[in-house]
Amino acid sequence: MRDVSLSTRRYTTQESLLGHRFWRHMQRALGYLGMFAVVLIIGIPVAWVLSGALKTNREIFSTTPQLLPANPNLDNFVKAWQAAPFDRFYMNSFITTLFGAGAEIIMAITTAYALVFVRFPKRDWVFFLLLVALMVPDEVVLVPNYLTIAGWKMVNTYPGIILPGASIAFGTFLLRQYFRTIPLDLIDAARVDGAGHLRTLWHVVLPVAAPAVATTALLSITAKWGEYIWPLLITTTEDMRTLPVGISRLLDQEGNTEWGVVMAGTLFVTVPVMLIFLYAQRFVVDGIAAGAVKG
Amino acid sequence: MNKRNQTISRRKLLKGMGIGAGALALAACAVPQATQAPAAPASGEPTAAPAPTTAPASSGPVEIIYWGFSGGLGKVEEQLINMWNEKQSEVKVTPQVQGNYEETAQKLTAALAAQQGPDMVLLSDVWWFKFYRAKALMPLNDLLKEQQIDTTDFVESLWNEGVRKGVQYWVPFARSTPIFYYNADMLEAAGLPVRGPETWDEMREWAPKLVKKEGDTMKVAAFAHPGAASYVAWLFQCVIRQFGGRYSDQDFNIKLTESDSIRAGQFYQDTVNKEGWAIASKDVTKDFVTGLAATAMLSTAALAGVLREAQFKVGTAFLPKEKFFNCCTGGSGLAILATTPMEKARAAMKYIDYATGNEGGAFWPQNTGYMPVRKSTAKSESYQKFFEQVPQARTAVEQLPLTEAQDAARVFIPGGDQIIGKGLERILISNEPVEKVFTEVKATLEQEAEPVKRDLAALG
Amino acid sequence: MFSRWLRIARRDWRDWLTFLAFVGPNLSLFAIFTYYPMVQNSVLALSDYNLITRSGPFVGLRNFETVFGSSQFGKIIVNTFVFTTVSVVLLIVLGLLIALLLNQNLRGRNAARSILFSPTILAGAAIAIVWIYIFDPRFGFIYTILKPLGIPAPKWLTDPAWAMPAIIIVYVWKNLGYATVIFIAGLQAIPRELYEAARVDGARAWERFWYVTLPGLSPVVFFLTVTTILSSFQAFDIINVMTEGGPVNATNTLIFHLYELFFQVSSPSRAAVVANLLFVLMLIVTALQVRYLERRVNYA
Repeated sequence: MRDVSLSTRRYTTQESLLGHRFWRHMQRALGYLGMFAVVLIIGIPVAWVLSGALKTNREIFSTTPQLLPANPNLDNFVKAWQAAPFDRFYMNSFITTLFGAGAEIIMAITTAYALVFVRFPKRDWVFFLLLVALMVPDEVVLVPNYLTIAGWKMVNTYPGIILPGASIAFGTFLLRQYFRTIPLDLIDAARVDGAGHLRTLWHVVLPVAAPAVATTALLSITAKWGEYIWPLLITTTEDMRTLPVGISRLLDQEGNTEWGVVMAGTLFVTVPVMLIFLYAQRFVVDGIAAGAVKG
Repeated sequence: MNKRNQTISRRKLLKGMGIGAGALALAACAVPQATQAPAAPASGEPTAAPAPTTAPASSGPVEIIYWGFSGGLGKVEEQLINMWNEKQSEVKVTPQVQGNYEETAQKLTAALAAQQGPDMVLLSDVWWFKFYRAKALMPLNDLLKEQQIDTTDFVESLWNEGVRKGVQYWVPFARSTPIFYYNADMLEAAGLPVRGPETWDEMREWAPKLVKKEGDTMKVAAFAHPGAASYVAWLFQCVIRQFGGRYSDQDFNIKLTESDSIRAGQFYQDTVNKEGWAIASKDVTKDFVTGLAATAMLSTAALAGVLREAQFKVGTAFLPKEKFFNCCTGGSGLAILATTPMEKARAAMKYIDYATGNEGGAFWPQNTGYMPVRKSTAKSESYQKFFEQVPQARTAVEQLPLTEAQDAARVFIPGGDQIIGKGLERILISNEPVEKVFTEVKATLEQEAEPVKRDLAALG
Repeated sequence: MFSRWLRIARRDWRDWLTFLAFVGPNLSLFAIFTYYPMVQNSVLALSDYNLITRSGPFVGLRNFETVFGSSQFGKIIVNTFVFTTVSVVLLIVLGLLIALLLNQNLRGRNAARSILFSPTILAGAAIAIVWIYIFDPRFGFIYTILKPLGIPAPKWLTDPAWAMPAIIIVYVWKNLGYATVIFIAGLQAIPRELYEAARVDGARAWERFWYVTLPGLSPVVFFLTVTTILSSFQAFDIINVMTEGGPVNATNTLIFHLYELFFQVSSPSRAAVVANLLFVLMLIVTALQVRYLERRVNYA
């Protein structure tokens, strides 16, 4: 740890009464301003999608677009829901995400743990091998994996959708970074007490790394939920398709797409993940890591 | 306090992970989901099984898997297929949506590589040839004869495009041509005759009156060009021929650098740069429909959507002439895969007969904007009634006899459409000298044509 | 040497087994679905493969010549580097700033974080339609803002000079949430005591940031640098829905070119050449980072 003792400059009591509190309020005000600005800049396009879902195609195409729809109605949502079997899509997305992300999260945790706390010769080479997996673009593996899955007779099945994407590299990487910051004495204490690796993982590492695990879980779920190209390729019938693929069902060949319906469909995909995100926020909460590590 | 925090969060983590723990186990031993019957052929067994001798009539209809349109067009196609399925009980067509033309072609490639695939497929004008070259399509002459389909009733230019060495592989179904769309209200307001321009020179006269500027920027253009990805090369194909040039002949001799071809390219460039009444647009249909472009060349298949969205009177006309009149074909057609068992192939042909015939083949175009592919359909009574309701639909049908099949360079060279399209973008957007660009495009096209020529020679 | 190895094995064999059990499933799946295709790919580049007939003659380096020799290739390489560099810098710098902002105890910051994260989960088609509107030079959002200022709006997506900035903007917008979320998690991991100690020692805000926050974040910064570089090399979705590599190849990057070659030109062999090049580039860049950057990471 770097040396943090620096200059011995101190504030006088006089200064602190005026300057200190003033600056603190200033900081808060600036903070709110900044937050507001960021939300605005990032959020406006998102708001457009929301309002687009409530508009008619004509409104969306108009040359004087308004943010707020003239006659907000849920027609687009109804049309989108009816355009394709979205209830089936929801179920398929739920299943593939549950198992896919579930497998990913478990493997990320165990792999990262092993890379940091379990002895193995040339462990760092394994880590680099893992990184290599991040360098293979999706497009490259699409067709070979299709052929592999077809060879196993799993085209248009749940395992066919889940398996090729189940392995995880970035989440493992993230957790590894996190785990490396965990002080070794914590681990040693547990090992000295006779805990095997699994127990150490369960009782010591995971609680401490909760924010990182929650973040990894969240990102993994988000990615799996939004996966498009692979499920598109590996499914042939509507009843096996996932939500993002269902959205493309709403697009038209000759450019006559009803964009309001597409945006409504997009919200079908987005809203569940947003809810999960809001819920998962409380795991990325102040102090869990801090308190647990040093306390 | 901290400890309690730990336990609570751990418990929640536990819950979350417990679910995930079951995940791997279940995923490993999950039985491949057996979906409903339709999926079976495409998902597991190789479809190359030899067909049984005769289909016992009592065992139900012959089922065909078909990969066709998606989106709004897909919905109409679904209606067509339902009409067919309900009308008779010998053949049941089961559509499986795979996406747009490109996505369907990709899926088909992958499926064929894995030796699976549908029985019947919809392929666009630039994609069907690739599968023909790979010997993936079934020759249809015998099936056509068996089904007693009158092939002379089909519009020649549409029919012949799918014929190789006297054998038909690709039956026209959703065929389109470019037509000239104009904003009747805008023309009237500008004091111009409310019709399409007869020649491009006439268009040049009209254009400045249609342009609306805001300061230095053009707010409303007289005409809009699409980009390469939106098939500008398809539209330009007609224009270049109107000027007397072409992309190529049927033997892949590229003719882009002939003087007339270059003249056409120069014209295109001038519309945007020197004369400044056209724009290179991101979405031509949208620009036209929202009144940002007074005229445009678009596929006739966009008609239904345009009529629905436009809030002005829409007019359609033949393409303008230059030295000549020319209009090319486009769209997609139906093909049967070579691996389809004969029984299913016969069933497929029955459907193809219906979909292109006077009943299905009238319903389809009327609800989409594509053209009737048989001459008798266009003359039929129901169609005449349709014309009365939607007079704009006449244009494409009347223009049809004057159309010509497309150049080999665009439809037979893989990526040909995009190669030419990107060259056109350089001309329209980057204002590069036309001759230089066309020379480079020619070189690329010739290079890409090599393997095609080889394959064709090998196919005999 | 061997006897020493044996000694270590005898001591550590349980660990080795545990390691294999913990890492095995993950790596096996990678082996089948990632490494194997990549190897196939390398071989593919050396032949003239036809996907449907599943055959093709060996042609040596001819595909490499064709791909590298094409006139657009130089532009593609430049585009790739510009896109990656600018995107990564923006993502990391902005991500950190916003994370610091949203880490403070402000009311409504959870909602703010959620909004920040939402672009990440939006589908490409919806993003395209919204941003195409925003960029429209005749009546789009940017135009409406610039008009009162008298500045003509750039043509963005139809202008070769502005198309790449447009793509970068959309890409950064979409992925900022991801970077921020990770930075926030990283900030949470820095123990409070360190800040207290620094405050007691009289360190000002800037110094606290430089000597406590940054070193504490270094594992995460390393992670983000590596992963965002790799992701932006492979960023396909945005380009595909907004510009399709155009206009005039202004936004054609290596990954898009790969797609073009595979799906439009239907040449899996040439696509494989680009895939190999991409892979080698990413390998080198990552290896350099691991070697030189990681040693400066402060793991506590």
